[in-house]
Amino acid sequence: MTESASGKKTLSMTLLGLGIVLLIAALYFDLTKTSTGLGSMRGAFLVCGALLVLAGVYYIPTVLHHRAIINVIFLFPLLFTFAVTVIIPMFVGFFYSFTDWNGVAFTKMVGFENYAAMFKEPAFIWSLLLTCLFVIVNMILVNLVAFLLALLCTTKIKGVGFFRAAYFLPNLIGGIVLGYIWQFIFSNVLTKILNSPHSALAQTKTAFIAIIVVYVWQYAGYIMLIYINGLATVPKDVLEAAQIDGASDIMTLFKIKIPMIAATFTICTFLTLTSAFKQFDVNLALTNGVGTVRKFMGSRLSNGTQMIALNIYNTAFARDQYGYAQAKAILFFIILACVSLIQVRISNKREVEM
Amino acid sequence: MKKFLAVFLVLMMFVALMPTAAFADGIRLFNGKIEIAEPLEHAAKAYEEATGKHVEVESLGGGVDLQATLKQYYQAGNMPEIFVFEGAPDLANWTGMVVDMSDQPWAADTDAGFVDESGALVGFPYTTEAIGLAYNKSILEKAGVDPASITGPESMKAAFEAIDAKKDELGITAVIGYCANATELYWSTGQHLFGQYLDAGLDRDDTTYFDLLMEGKLDQDRFTAFAEMVDLFNQYSDPALLVSGNYDLQVSGFAAGKYAFVTQGSWIGSSLTNQYKDQYAAAGNFECGYVPYCFIEGIDTILTNAPSHWAVYKDGNVAEAEEFLNWLAGPDGQQIMVQEAGCVSPFKSCTVVANDPFAAPVSEYAAAGKTSSWHWMGQPSNLAQDVTGAIFQDFAMGLEDVQSFTEAMTDVIADFFK
Repeated sequence: MTESASGKKTLSMTLLGLGIVLLIAALYFDLTKTSTGLGSMRGAFLVCGALLVLAGVYYIPTVLHHRAIINVIFLFPLLFTFAVTVIIPMFVGFFYSFTDWNGVAFTKMVGFENYAAMFKEPAFIWSLLLTCLFVIVNMILVNLVAFLLALLCTTKIKGVGFFRAAYFLPNLIGGIVLGYIWQFIFSNVLTKILNSPHSALAQTKTAFIAIIVVYVWQYAGYIMLIYINGLATVPKDVLEAAQIDGASDIMTLFKIKIPMIAATFTICTFLTLTSAFKQFDVNLALTNGVGTVRKFMGSRLSNGTQMIALNIYNTAFARDQYGYAQAKAILFFIILACVSLIQVRISNKREVEM
Repeated sequence: MKKFLAVFLVLMMFVALMPTAAFADGIRLFNGKIEIAEPLEHAAKAYEEATGKHVEVESLGGGVDLQATLKQYYQAGNMPEIFVFEGAPDLANWTGMVVDMSDQPWAADTDAGFVDESGALVGFPYTTEAIGLAYNKSILEKAGVDPASITGPESMKAAFEAIDAKKDELGITAVIGYCANATELYWSTGQHLFGQYLDAGLDRDDTTYFDLLMEGKLDQDRFTAFAEMVDLFNQYSDPALLVSGNYDLQVSGFAAGKYAFVTQGSWIGSSLTNQYKDQYAAAGNFECGYVPYCFIEGIDTILTNAPSHWAVYKDGNVAEAEEFLNWLAGPDGQQIMVQEAGCVSPFKSCTVVANDPFAAPVSEYAAAGKTSSWHWMGQPSNLAQDVTGAIFQDFAMGLEDVQSFTEAMTDVIADFFK
């Protein structure tokens, strides 16, 4: 018994030691940018080192923590991926927001300068307000349209399957493609039909309405599916009981169906809220943010239809101010997180009361 | 048994990962001009046949943000040996990371190389492009307008009126194909056309108006004259194209002989002979030419420049990259670049002339010394997209007149450079 334990210990230590050596070697080659000789195998070193360390950890002679160790080993791939793709970049991004990073290198730390600057930039404030307006209008419109479509698609009309598919179809087209399709419609088709000299996309107000129309068209079908799903869960016996009691369709709708699917409303408002906030592709393809605002905070703006996501994108990629864009993105993240949390909390409360 | 299996698997992984050691052979070229992707690949192949060295050509363009892509490559440690940049603002990203090529044999053969602030030759010129007011020679002849007579605002207006009067007879849609769509063509108005205000009629090294711009100022007299010319374009352009059109519509329209003039540079030549060759043939394969954007009497230059340059990355395979560029600047390389890619050679020793409708007129202007530079390339990269493009569009829509257009431009530029 003791022999096997000490044997296990030696095995575990050897594996751990070897693994760590390999990992360090891989790191060393990577940092010194050696890609010849042994250095050319740094990838193999890294993978094998990691595997050996995992094996070493597995063989650690402990009865008490063995279960925990196995749990961690099984979770490791996920935790590692999550850390590399989400957690670490977030902290790095947070760090960059305090620098004057241009996407290649940064020369100095600027403290909170980036955060202060964005509130003095009329174009950014405009984008922020515009996005809020967009979110409010869309949250109402998308849910309204989607719910009506869902009601329509749960009645016994002919070809319901076709209508469901047809309403959902726009959601399958990518936002950029969809933007260009609608750009064609606004610029080439509607101008001919309405006999107007200029496309609706050329002026801020009409362009903003155009973006809303396209967005609702794209998103309502998707939300409709969720509502259909919700409506399908309303128990038939309750509906039958209501019918026998003589409730009209309208009453059934407001007194039974809607309260019964309150949870669906929560999901849908949440989805529309966050996705409208993050609106980017249709905005980019339809107007690329162009639109004149004659006077806003004392200056003339040319980005009248630019949502906040596009504003951040342009700050980084068109203006090369990656650090500043990062600061805007952090603010965007905070706003989004707060709004979502509040929204979920309020909705949950209502669900419980129902 | 299990242990053996584990050891075996680890060994297999070793073996599987081994081959990753053996690449990084040859060099990569990051080309930003998608139009010449195929000829470039052909050139790379010819080079490989001649020297046995591999060149990988990666072509991006058409709305792709090239510098952003490059930055991603840089972050990923995947920088190409040769990459494209447009002017000083782009180059500023790569300070200290590009090679000085003054010692290269081709350096003495051209004036079009890009020299940075410290005097180092960091940009290899691969083509020359020109921006002037392009015209369709056969339409002008039929209308009885001599392009040489257009020397100033009055004569330009007279020519436009003369052509407009015979519009139906000539079978054209509009006198000029000018498009101010700020979403898609902000670069055409905010950079190329605006570049005429900055440079037209000036010596190649004259930066008077560019320096003024960088201080946030516009020369009111010169800009008003410029605005009057733009106003003329607004009046005589095709209303369907003016605000709601796009680049394809504009170029295909010119190729099909719908417009007598078009506000695009020499790069549309290859579109005429390739992409729109059917329309172009149907319109009689007309000859093309340039008149200067003479918004002030006496402006007689068109703007020519290398539209972008290629830099060599310091930490890549510099020797092989330079060798390839030298080959490309030589007779074999230029043969392909000029004849297949339709480039106007920036090298003095090159004798090949492109089969391109704009090659001859550009060469004529160059030979006569009547060219100005492209200083607009030095303006901040988002000026046109974020600021000036939209005002050109408002002007085209009739929301502004000459005076308010000038005022708005003055204001936003002052604001931008504050």
